[in-house]
Amino acid sequence: MNYMPGTASLIQDIDKKHLVLLRDGRTLIGYLRSIDQFANLVLHQTVERIHVGKKYGDIPRGIFVVRGENVVLLGEIDLEKESDTPLQQVSIEEILEEQRVEQQAKQESEKLKVQALKERGLCVPRADTLDEY
Amino acid sequence: MFRYQSLEDCPLDEDEDAFQGLGEEDEDIDQFNDDTFGAGAVDDDWQEAHERLAELEDKPVASREQDGPSSEDLDLLGDPEDTLAERLTRLVIDSELEDPAIMQAVQTRGPAQQPGGLNSSIWDSSAVLRRMRGPLLTQEMPSVSVLDYALPQRPPQPRDDERDPSERALPRRSSSPVIGSPPVRAVPIGTPPKQAAVPSFNQQILCPKPVHIRATLQQRYPAPYGERMSPNQLCNNSSLLGHPFPHSVSPVLTHLQRAQLLGGAQAGRMSPSQFARVSGLVGSPIPSVNPKLLQGRVGQMMPPASGFRAFFGAPPAPPPSQLQHPPGPGSHLQSLRPQPQMFRPDTTHLHPQHRRLLHQRQQQSRSQHRSLNGSVGDRGGHRSSHQEQMRKDPYANLMLQREKDWVSKIQMMQLQSTDPYLDDYYYQNYFQKLEKLSAAEEVHGDGPKKERTKLITPQVAKLEHTYKPVQFEGSLGKLTVSSVNNPRKMIDAVVTSRSEDDETKEKQVRDKRRQTLVTIEKTYSLLLDVEDYERRYLLSLEGERPALMGERKQKICDMYDNLRGKAPGQDRPSDDHFMQIMCIRKGKRLVARILPFLSPEQAADVLMATARNLPFLIKKDAQDEVLPCLLRPFSHVLYHLPLGTVTSLVQQLTNLPQSAPAPAPTNLHLTAVLQNKFGLSLLYLVLSRGEELQSSDTNTELMQDNQWTELMLMATRELLRIPQAALAKPVSTPSNLLSLFSRYVDQQKLNLLETKLHLVHGIR
Repeated sequence: MNYMPGTASLIQDIDKKHLVLLRDGRTLIGYLRSIDQFANLVLHQTVERIHVGKKYGDIPRGIFVVRGENVVLLGEIDLEKESDTPLQQVSIEEILEEQRVEQQAKQESEKLKVQALKERGLCVPRADTLDEY
Repeated sequence: MFRYQSLEDCPLDEDEDAFQGLGEEDEDIDQFNDDTFGAGAVDDDWQEAHERLAELEDKPVASREQDGPSSEDLDLLGDPEDTLAERLTRLVIDSELEDPAIMQAVQTRGPAQQPGGLNSSIWDSSAVLRRMRGPLLTQEMPSVSVLDYALPQRPPQPRDDERDPSERALPRRSSSPVIGSPPVRAVPIGTPPKQAAVPSFNQQILCPKPVHIRATLQQRYPAPYGERMSPNQLCNNSSLLGHPFPHSVSPVLTHLQRAQLLGGAQAGRMSPSQFARVSGLVGSPIPSVNPKLLQGRVGQMMPPASGFRAFFGAPPAPPPSQLQHPPGPGSHLQSLRPQPQMFRPDTTHLHPQHRRLLHQRQQQSRSQHRSLNGSVGDRGGHRSSHQEQMRKDPYANLMLQREKDWVSKIQMMQLQSTDPYLDDYYYQNYFQKLEKLSAAEEVHGDGPKKERTKLITPQVAKLEHTYKPVQFEGSLGKLTVSSVNNPRKMIDAVVTSRSEDDETKEKQVRDKRRQTLVTIEKTYSLLLDVEDYERRYLLSLEGERPALMGERKQKICDMYDNLRGKAPGQDRPSDDHFMQIMCIRKGKRLVARILPFLSPEQAADVLMATARNLPFLIKKDAQDEVLPCLLRPFSHVLYHLPLGTVTSLVQQLTNLPQSAPAPAPTNLHLTAVLQNKFGLSLLYLVLSRGEELQSSDTNTELMQDNQWTELMLMATRELLRIPQAALAKPVSTPSNLLSLFSRYVDQQKLNLLETKLHLVHGIR
C-alpha cells in the first residue's frame, strides 16, 4: 500500500532499521517503531554509533524516543549491505578513548587558530554561539 | 464604638492620653448587649456548624444508597452484577465517611473553596453537588463533564489527595472561554484526539449546562470499577484493575487532559484507537472498553469519554465492545487486525474526496493484511524476505494500522489548500514537469511507463469568512472587545515626517535609496503577476481572456513607468530614476526579467539609457558583477532593432561625437566600456548586429550607412589604441566581427585587431 506517493512520509519506514543523525551530532541506529505528525520517532534496540576515523564503536542504548525537531536526517539501512563497510568495529572503551583524543586535538588546533587571529587583530565568532541564532 | 469619625482623627502616636481615651471608651461599651456578651452570643465556629450540617445531609444520602439499586428511580446501578462490588466499595467508604477527621478535611475544603469559585454561585444547589459526591466516592467518576470544563475554578474532588500540587498550581483560567474570541484550544492542533467527533459540541461547551444533567450522566453509566477509568487512573496503577477498593484517588483529570478531551472532541478528530470504538456516527455511544486493552495502551484510551459523548448524543444503549483485543503489546501480531464487523469511523468532517481515499486505503490495508503474503507494494520479490523477517520480528506492528492511517490523515489535512499554486508552488511545478516528461516519453512510442501513483490532495473550497464582532441583543452600541480578529487601536501614534531642513544629506540619500527599493519591490510583484498570466490564461474561460490580456498589458505599462520614472511630459529628461534602480543588484535582475515583456521601442529605450550611462553603471557594479545577466535579454532585444537604432546605440556606447574630426586624446567612456566584461560583450553584440544588418539588408539608407561607417572607423581606431592588457574578457566573441572590421581597416591593422581581440577561431 502506497502511502502518500510523491511525498516524504515515514509510514513506509516503520519496523525497518534506520540510521538517524541528530542535531547534536549523535548517530543512532535502531528499528523505527512509531512516528507521529511531528516526526517524533520511537527507535527500538537502538545503538549509538561513534565514528572516529576508520573505526567505530556501538553503544547499546535500548529504546529511544526522539523529538522530531532534533533530527537532521534519517535513512533506511539495507540489512544486506550493512556489513559491507570498510570501517572497522572496535570496543566501546577504545572508541571512546579515540573520541577523546580527537576532541582534544581539535580543541588545541582551535586554540591555536584563535590565537593566531587574535595576533592579527581579527575575531572569529565561535560556532556554538552562532548556533543559537 | 470609637468616637473617631475618620481615620485622620485617630492619634498616630500611641501616647498615654490615647490609652486613657481608649480606657474611657471601654466604659462606654454596652455591657448589656446580649448579642455580644449575653446569652445571644454563641461562641461558635461557623465552619464547624457548616460541617455538621453537611454531615447531616450526607448521612441520608449514604443511607439511601445503601438501600440498593431498585429503590433508586434514577437507575443508579443498571448492572446487577456489579452491585456487590459497588456495595463493598460503598461500605468501606461509608465507614470512612463516619470518620470525623476525614469528614472535616473533606468538608473544609469543599465549602471553603466554593465561595471562592466565580461560577459556583450559578450552580447554587450545593446540595446537589453534595449528593453527587456521594456516588462519586463510590464509583470512579467519568473523567470529564461539561461542568468541569465550564467551571475552571471548581474545587477538586474530595478524594484528591494524590493529585500532585503542580496540577493545582495550573492557572485555572487556562481553558475558560473568552467571549469574543474563537473557542480556546488548550490543545495544540496536532495532539492525538481522545474523543470521538461530536459536531454540535461547541455551543454546549460555552454555555454551561444545568447541574442535574450531570447527575443523570453519573447514574446512567455506572460501569463496573474496572471498566471505567480515566487515563489518570491508568497512568497511576494498572495493577489496580479489578481491585475493588480504590486507594488511589478518584480520577480527576488534570486540567490539560480535560481540555484535551474536549479539545479533541471539539476538533472532531479521533485517535486511531477511537476508530475501533465508534460503532457508527455521532449518535451512538461508545461502548465501554475491555480493561485489558487499557493495560497496554496507557494514555491513548478514552473509555470514560463514552458516557460523556453519549450524554450529548443519543439515548443510552450500551452495546458490548465490538473489538476484542488481546492484551499487551507483545501479542500484537496479525491477529490484531480489525475484526470483520465493519465499524465505520466518523469521517463526516473530512472532505468527501479525502474520506473516499481514506476508506479506500483502509479497505486495501485490510485486504492486504488478510493475505499473509500480500504486499501490494512496489518492490515485489525483494520484499518477500523482508516480509519474512517482519513475520519473525516479535516487535513488529507496534504501530497499528489505524494509527498509521491517523498520522497520514493528519499529513493529508496539512496538504489541504484552497490555492495550491500559492501554497505549494514548487511541488506543483515539479509535478507538472514530471508529467510533461512522462507524456513526452509516451509520445515517443515507448508506451506508458509504470503507473506513477499520484497523490490526490484534498481540495477545499474557498469560503469567505467575514468576521462579525460579537453583538448582544438589547444592548446599545457594540462591544468594545478587541481580539485577534477584531483589533482595536490602543495607542494614538501619529506619524510626523520631519521637515526637509532638518535632514542631513545622508538621510536624504538613504530615503531616496529606500524609495528606490520600494519601487523595485512593487515592480517585482507586477512582474510576477505578468509572468503568471500564461498559466491563468490556460485555466480561464473564453470570456475572461480578453480581460486578462487587458490586465496584463496594463501591468506591463505600469512596470515600464516604474522603471523609467513617471515623466509628466513626452520625453524623459533624466535617466536618474532608471539609474537608481540599476545601481541596486535586484534592480538589474528586475530589468533583465522585464525586458522580454516590453515593446521594442520601450526595450530600445532601456538599452539606450543603459549604454548612455554605462561607465557609471560599471563603476557601481564593481562589487556585484551582475551586469552580465543583462546580456541575454539585450541580445534578444538587439535582434529586433533596425540599423538606425543600432547606430545610435554604438554611438552611445562609445560616446564618440558624431562628426568630430579627431577624437579626444582619451575617450574615457569607451575605455571604461572596453575594460569591463559586460561593456565589451555588449559592444561586440551591437557591432555584430550592425554587421548582420549591413550584410543582409541591401536597402539601407545612405545616411545611416555613412554614420555607421564613420562610427566604425572611429571605433576601430580606438580599439587599436587600447593596450591589450586593458581589454576585458568578453562573454562571447561573435564570429562576424572579423568581417566587420575587414571593411574599415586595412590588412595590417586587421591582423593587429585579430590578435588583440582574439577574433580568430580556435584561440578562444
